[in-house]
Amino acid sequence: MKKKRFAMVLDTRKCIDCKACTIACKTENHIPLIEDNYRNWVMEEPLRGKYPRLGQSFTPGQCMQCSNPPCERVCPTSATYVNGDGVVLVDDKKCIGCKYCITACPYDARFYNEEIGAVDKCTFCIQRIYKGRLPACVETCPTKVRVFGDLNDPDSDVSRLLRKYPHRVKKPEIGTQPSLFYLM
Amino acid sequence: MLLSACAAAGVGTGLVGKRFQSLALAKHTIPISDLGNRDVFTSCGMCVNKCGVIARVRNGVIEKLDPNPHFLKSRGMLCARGNAGIDAVYSPDRLKHPMIRTGKRGEGKFRRATWDEALDLVVKNLSNLADKYTRAGTVFVSTEGFQEHFFTTFAECYGSPNTLRHPSLCLASNIQGFGATYGTNPTPDVLNADYIIMSGANRSEALVTPDSIDMLTGDGGRRKLVYLDPRFTKTAAKADEWFPIRPGTDMAFILAMINVVVKENLYNHKVVEKQTVGFDKLVPHIETYTPEWAATKCEIPAADIRRIAREFAMAAPKAVYYQGRRSSFFDNDTQMRRAMAILNAVVGNWDTKGGMVPNSRIPLQGHEYVAPYYEDVPDRLENGTASYLSEKDGSWKYFRDRVLEGKPYPVKGMMVYKQNPLVSVANRGKTLKMMEQMEFICTIDITMNDTAYYSDVILPEATYLEREDPIESLGGILPMVVWREPVIKPMYESRSNLWIIQQLAKRMGDEIYASFNFTMKEYREHQTKNNPEILKVLKEKGVYYEKETPTYGTTLGKKLRTRSGKIEIYSEKYAKKGLDPLPVYNDPTNGSTGQYRLILGRNAYMTHGTTANNAYLSELMPENHIWLHSSEAKKKGFRDGQMVKVKSPIATEMLRLQVTEKIRPDCVYLSHGFGVLSRGQSRIFGKGGSDAALIEDKVEPISGNMAMHQTFVDITSI
Repeated sequence: MKKKRFAMVLDTRKCIDCKACTIACKTENHIPLIEDNYRNWVMEEPLRGKYPRLGQSFTPGQCMQCSNPPCERVCPTSATYVNGDGVVLVDDKKCIGCKYCITACPYDARFYNEEIGAVDKCTFCIQRIYKGRLPACVETCPTKVRVFGDLNDPDSDVSRLLRKYPHRVKKPEIGTQPSLFYLM
Repeated sequence: MLLSACAAAGVGTGLVGKRFQSLALAKHTIPISDLGNRDVFTSCGMCVNKCGVIARVRNGVIEKLDPNPHFLKSRGMLCARGNAGIDAVYSPDRLKHPMIRTGKRGEGKFRRATWDEALDLVVKNLSNLADKYTRAGTVFVSTEGFQEHFFTTFAECYGSPNTLRHPSLCLASNIQGFGATYGTNPTPDVLNADYIIMSGANRSEALVTPDSIDMLTGDGGRRKLVYLDPRFTKTAAKADEWFPIRPGTDMAFILAMINVVVKENLYNHKVVEKQTVGFDKLVPHIETYTPEWAATKCEIPAADIRRIAREFAMAAPKAVYYQGRRSSFFDNDTQMRRAMAILNAVVGNWDTKGGMVPNSRIPLQGHEYVAPYYEDVPDRLENGTASYLSEKDGSWKYFRDRVLEGKPYPVKGMMVYKQNPLVSVANRGKTLKMMEQMEFICTIDITMNDTAYYSDVILPEATYLEREDPIESLGGILPMVVWREPVIKPMYESRSNLWIIQQLAKRMGDEIYASFNFTMKEYREHQTKNNPEILKVLKEKGVYYEKETPTYGTTLGKKLRTRSGKIEIYSEKYAKKGLDPLPVYNDPTNGSTGQYRLILGRNAYMTHGTTANNAYLSELMPENHIWLHSSEAKKKGFRDGQMVKVKSPIATEMLRLQVTEKIRPDCVYLSHGFGVLSRGQSRIFGKGGSDAALIEDKVEPISGNMAMHQTFVDITSI
């Protein structure tokens, strides 16, 4: 079977910073109720302009599922790895909690989860996507900011969107090759 | 939530095991029979939208709440509050057992009681109150919900005319203003509108489905959203144009739009002639309400008002002046909504695609009951106050004032279901006084909120995820039928409201009990007896529709529910009552120099005063802050994040300052639901400040709606 390359495309024009994605993720993935324990978040970008001519955008963020992930390179026990379909995962049995990867991640996407005794981050809801379901954040988003799919399938929604619209990734200059694309 | 440090004992994964442990620690045993896995269709109960939910149960524990993809109104989504509903069930703060007060009222000292003891005590008190003060001597306070009907019906069977509901804190003036014009309060067809003007409806934060979603579709292409609000809210960030309108001047803006539309001949002649009455009186009336005049009132440039009016008329009939839902802002709200309704009418958007569409409802068979006849029971306490007082909803402002006066008769008993007046009604000081003079207060609720904290008897209702609810027909432009199925059995000793009402009714005698003597299964079968297909589809899909797109034009050529049968631009009805038959503009009152107008609003992860204590949501917003414009903060030497004293004519609250450019310099804002009195809300007690305490109870006299944006405050350093 042909390998997949899972990716997410986001149309932030529709994002209203309602936090539905963060709560859906917290409950779906049993994330501890501690302030900095989040696999995903929504950033309020700095206010543009001066009152009363103001503008503001909201940008969801999470692990970028990089094709060239710095976290994997620095992990001393190979707990962090990329699966065949491009999803970056952490084997919590191998993780020793050195937190080197947390420092290495340019997107601040990782945190240490005391409850499972390992580093934690977005897994594209791996428990859902192999059962034909969408990641919780994608499914729950009120304004349908997020589209998820397989970039190796030219007919998938994500492939179509990237062909049709200009898009960008976060911190392209670092060369991490993220799998999260933001439409422009 | 208790999270023990030891690893899960091999039951499920991660937090599932933790939850088991903490539930065991809380001495609640999950019946062995319920260690199952199942997916259950139900309806969310975290706000008024009732989005379809699929609840996922694993090993007897609700793990996740997912959106029901069949639920068209929510476009298959579930918001932050919907996802956080799990905490309503498992919060250690939820009400677990019937409680009877031991200490003084408001001390928070209660003892656990059996259901029998608590119910007996309630009925004993209701009987005593009926003897001492007649049956009108007890007020029945409630908010909408699938089981509210049983509570209000019980009130009727008990014989009290005094039911007090939430519309007079919310949309009563919208219902009145639009109702007086169209005979109904219609729904704007946001999905198909090309031009939407929203004033004071912050749809990207005050979520209403599908409007919050539909207003952003259309690929940013044809649809234009113009947004008026003293704050730069999330909706402002999404809108095509935002104007920081001066609070209380929306009517000026709207009248000026009507002026342009009429004088530049942009109105829909055919619709005005065929469907309306009173246009001839409108023409001279709006003569002086020019954009130049309006600009001096609302601080929006005249050129913009004129341009927007032209754009609006050009886009019509697929153009809506969106009236929103809550209209409890100013004492002229009913007349301002009349102006909105008139503007919509003259551009010809009535009952057409992209316009203002009357609501419809899929019929269900009603509850058949007979309320006993009681002699010598007086009428509603606040009769004769508002021009148009709803018999069922009443007016909180006027009702409470009369209770405090003790005239025309005393009200000494208070039964509460699913409403939290100490948080939701302006002027908390008066609510406290009203409750203090009550001889008996019983609250049915799911949390130890402020109103429960001040009660004598507290009865724990099962949460929405534990209840089998009646079938509910939701009206709108896309009517549907929904229900609730229990996801898990009620925890602790909580019970559904129907059970509680049945137990009370049983104790009140056979005649009353006869009206409630049925199982939920029997009730639902009765509701759907003319359409049993509904039950079948609810089981398969969790929601029942007859159409997937709205129907337009059902009222065209027919009589509307107005005196003339047509859209009443000029209201004879109002004229006869001595009210302005066409909206007349008056300036809003101003504060003194240095004061700020306190305005209220919503955000997308809180529901009114009910969710601040939710574990997931309080992490997003642990307390509320008071917003102040940066130029004002600079003037007064305030720093962002410092504590300040917020003083209104009736109360002082301490709050943390949030210095921002996102608000008019003459206003301040704070989020609702904090500054609580109840120690039973462990996450938020002692945090933030109470808007209910600060806001005065001004009133809109036509509908009796509260007017909550007319309080001015002083801000000083502590």
